[in-house]
Amino acid sequence: MSIGKIHGVESLPGLSQVEKPQTNLGESFSKALTDAHALDNDATQQAERFANHDPSVGIHEVVIASEKASIAVRYAVTLKNKALEAYHELMNTQV
Amino acid sequence: MPRVNTNMDFFTAMEVSASGLSAQRARMNVASSNLANAQTTAAAGGGPYKRKDVVLSSADIPGTEGELGGAVKGVEVSSIKEDTAPPRLEYDPGHPQANAQGYVAYPNVNPVEEMVDMITASRAYEAGITTMSTAVNMAEKALGIGK
Repeated sequence: MSIGKIHGVESLPGLSQVEKPQTNLGESFSKALTDAHALDNDATQQAERFANHDPSVGIHEVVIASEKASIAVRYAVTLKNKALEAYHELMNTQV
Repeated sequence: MPRVNTNMDFFTAMEVSASGLSAQRARMNVASSNLANAQTTAAAGGGPYKRKDVVLSSADIPGTEGELGGAVKGVEVSSIKEDTAPPRLEYDPGHPQANAQGYVAYPNVNPVEEMVDMITASRAYEAGITTMSTAVNMAEKALGIGK
């Protein structure tokens, strides 16, 4: 008795044509961290300027800056979680 | 204010509403100045206080100029103009600021109009906050994809 190949598996024709991404995940993660750091600095600066009675900084600007920093940090954390998840998924592959 | 450039599109909506909030804050400040000076007969520069009006114009938010073909605009206070309406004359011959005919020139401020302006500014501020909260909510929902 011969076991036939599963049709379509032998070549996976699309696989070799997939372009490599321009950046890897590490780069995007480090970019996200840099952004988060810059936004956090910005939020701190605005809070300081507001505390020093700078008339050009309104209370909403301080709150918005810290909200932005918070979103950027959560974005970086989400990227990190996704990367770790993918890594664990691969490491747990049954061979 | 220098803007921290990121590739996060959600921040554009936040920047635009922030400019709106600043504009409404300016309107609120001007309305309170008008109300506070509603009886000022000797303003700086002589004569009664003249009612001030905020002129708003749309402005590019630094870093987002090209977005959606330049359709996304913030708002800024381009100038604060004086109302050209004549002062309100009241007969009060004993007043130190009275003219030869006994009339005192009071500011051209109508408290009712100022109240309406204040309420409009306050509602527009609330609308800006709602836009902001919605943008933040969207960003949070996007970060929660797949959870």
